[in-house]
Amino acid sequence: MKPIFLPDVESNPQPSPVTDLIRAAQSAGTEYPQIWHLFAYRAQATANLGAFTQEMMRGECPLSPGIRELIAAFTSYGNDCPF
Amino acid sequence: MPHIRLSEGLPGIRGLFAFRPETAKPLCELAEVLLHTPGTLSLAERELIATYVSSQNDCYYCQTAHGAIAACHLDGDQSIISEVKRDFEHASVSEKLKSLLAIAGKVQRGGKNVQLEDVERARRQGATDQEIHDTVLIAAAFCMYNRYVDGLATWAPQDPASYRERAAKVARDGYLAIPADVQAARAERSQA
Repeated sequence: MKPIFLPDVESNPQPSPVTDLIRAAQSAGTEYPQIWHLFAYRAQATANLGAFTQEMMRGECPLSPGIRELIAAFTSYGNDCPF
Repeated sequence: MPHIRLSEGLPGIRGLFAFRPETAKPLCELAEVLLHTPGTLSLAERELIATYVSSQNDCYYCQTAHGAIAACHLDGDQSIISEVKRDFEHASVSEKLKSLLAIAGKVQRGGKNVQLEDVERARRQGATDQEIHDTVLIAAAFCMYNRYVDGLATWAPQDPASYRERAAKVARDGYLAIPADVQAARAERSQA
């Protein structure tokens, strides 16, 4: 994998579950999504974004979780973001 | 007129915060981390980045609200805000902030526009990885907030003066305090 633009971000993960995931993937030599480095770098911002995503995608709502994921996938496709 | 039925009298994102408290909470907490917790970028610099991105997205409510908050952090100086919106490369701000605004502008047009040379320019001006990271996240988050506010056609007062009182409170207290009018609108909605 190519390094991300910000090596300090990649090399300074904060203690968090996603940091453990990065370590596990690295030691197993498997590819992993590099957004994990961003998640691990700013744990508080990530927790807040995660709470927002959880509520948006799985909170009480007449739209099923499947339809909501489809909207997210369609928007990401429109934004040319394959991940 | 908003596309969905919102409480009357609450402009911009505040009407949406009253409509959906569950999503309002993490959105406000994200704004607090990005714009109001101590860091090496000043609060004025971070609000200027948010204001610039909102103006590029043509979001009147967000650019006026955050421009007013930036002005509070700049002792009331409105001229820097107009300069940054018009042509930040010639505004009276630091070379470092110009390089970060250039990155923010590219994120606004699409994340893939940011190139290594943009990052290197910011580094040459002394920006740290954390500052570059936060610039990108502020820009990306404001694209979300701007689209949220305009995608539901929320109402925005046209007189910039009407934003100042609320801006002073946010500049002082941050983004976590729920304004009394939003609380009242939530109470009314839950009774209805």
